[in-house]
Amino acid sequence: MVSFMGAFAGFPQLCQSLPLTVLRESRYLLPRRMSESEALETDAKALAGPSLRRETAPFINAVIGQFNVINALILRETRTRFGKHKLGYAWALLEPALMIITFAIMFKVAHRKPADGLNVFGFLVTGIIPYLLFTKSTAQVSQAINGNKGLLFYPQVKPLDVVFARVALEFCTYTAVFFLLMGGNVLVQQKVDIADPMLIVAGFAMASLLGASLGLIFMGLGQLSNVADRTRGPIMRPFFWISGLFFTAHSVPLGYRRFVLHNPVMHVTEAVRAGWFPEYSDQYVNIPLVLTWVLGLLLIGLTLETITRRRIQMS
Amino acid sequence: MIALKNITKVYHTPFGPNVVLDDITITLPTGENIGILGKNGAGKSTLLRIIGGAEMPDLGTVRTDGQISWPIGFSGGFSGSLTGEDNCRFVARIYAQDVDRVTDETRAFAELGDYFYMPIRTYSSGMRARLAFGLSMAIDFSVYLVDEITAVGDTNFKTKCRNAFSERSQRSSLIMVSHSPDTIREYCTRCAVMHRGRLQLFDSVDEAYKVYEAHQAQEAA
Repeated sequence: MVSFMGAFAGFPQLCQSLPLTVLRESRYLLPRRMSESEALETDAKALAGPSLRRETAPFINAVIGQFNVINALILRETRTRFGKHKLGYAWALLEPALMIITFAIMFKVAHRKPADGLNVFGFLVTGIIPYLLFTKSTAQVSQAINGNKGLLFYPQVKPLDVVFARVALEFCTYTAVFFLLMGGNVLVQQKVDIADPMLIVAGFAMASLLGASLGLIFMGLGQLSNVADRTRGPIMRPFFWISGLFFTAHSVPLGYRRFVLHNPVMHVTEAVRAGWFPEYSDQYVNIPLVLTWVLGLLLIGLTLETITRRRIQMS
Repeated sequence: MIALKNITKVYHTPFGPNVVLDDITITLPTGENIGILGKNGAGKSTLLRIIGGAEMPDLGTVRTDGQISWPIGFSGGFSGSLTGEDNCRFVARIYAQDVDRVTDETRAFAELGDYFYMPIRTYSSGMRARLAFGLSMAIDFSVYLVDEITAVGDTNFKTKCRNAFSERSQRSSLIMVSHSPDTIREYCTRCAVMHRGRLQLFDSVDEAYKVYEAHQAQEAA
């Protein structure tokens, strides 16, 4: 049962074990539930008895077990998130589409044109959808424990499993929304003119990773103090204005451009725009910078998760 | 066998730390049904959650063999916005069981009628108990952790619970938490008493009950 945790070949668990090996080994700082050898011993005993699991290697078992848990969580999350609306999952598509239409109308009414002569629809889609993926991932991950205590009642469900499931669901939803909107655009324009799909995927992956790792920090802080939840809104709000939803890095005056490019979310927008518009260059996209941010945030977030793990109260 | 070693749990309250479990080291045999007596707030449910792995102790280790259930009670384990059926599906999936079989068996046991297809938040506590109990019976555990749940429900449901347990007494056992000695006497052969963060195991329920009574009298005085 214990070996369910930390076996799935995912990066958070891997990263988690890296910096904290010393802490986790220390009986006094963070006493563990069972050592690896004890867990194996128990696994072997459990397998010999009237067990639910088939007789396979413990590691494979753990991988299958964690896969089952994450799969069940994704199905369940889909139900709770979209099941209550009559339109169901279609709402996930309609909500961002409505937002884009609203802004498109505002652009029209104000007689404004996007920077660098880009097409309004594409400009808004490439700005808004990755931004939504980023903020929704943060919001969902930060509530992974408090929004879902009932699930953590089952020993094989750990907060990080919920995090995995939520990140996967957000990523799939917004990627699907994006490609549907892009397909719609292709139908309207009557021509396929996409510069680099891989750059778009990279942008979405970065938005998801940034959102998830920032969310992990809020999740951990949320266990220490309930002030954390209230500060999330004010901290996240500026990203709406500084992440290039309504401007491009190229359109920013030279003196300010490097300040704008300190924001990792700006690089997400730039990547997606360069991937969509053949006429917009990817010269400002700095993927290593974003990944450095992700690693830094993950380090803090997973450390907080490990420290606060024992504070989670079920009732 | 469930071996607890140095289990310590402290809850931090605005009025200072509250030591709920104070360095408990004990081995609970799983060959027989064990009751845990204690007054409200003595830490019985916390202990059960730690044995079941839902919460982690501040200190200490739990070693178990066999498959242990989650603590079966009215609270926890269900999400209110989902239907009884969806909750069954989720639990079947995480325990790698046949989803349809678990759902069918739970529906048959719980006898909720159409409520089975309605959100859990519309359930009464008795209905929740039926669902939780039925669901746990649909999955073969070697130890069932039961938290007060058999105390609710009508006579019919109680009889059903009793029969379900005696049916599987060969392969499964119980650890049951209650503040009612009658319930414990009904199910258990041995009993432990939880008092001031300590757990003491006795060979008979009567013996445990005497100690429990003595504690109660002491508190009252």
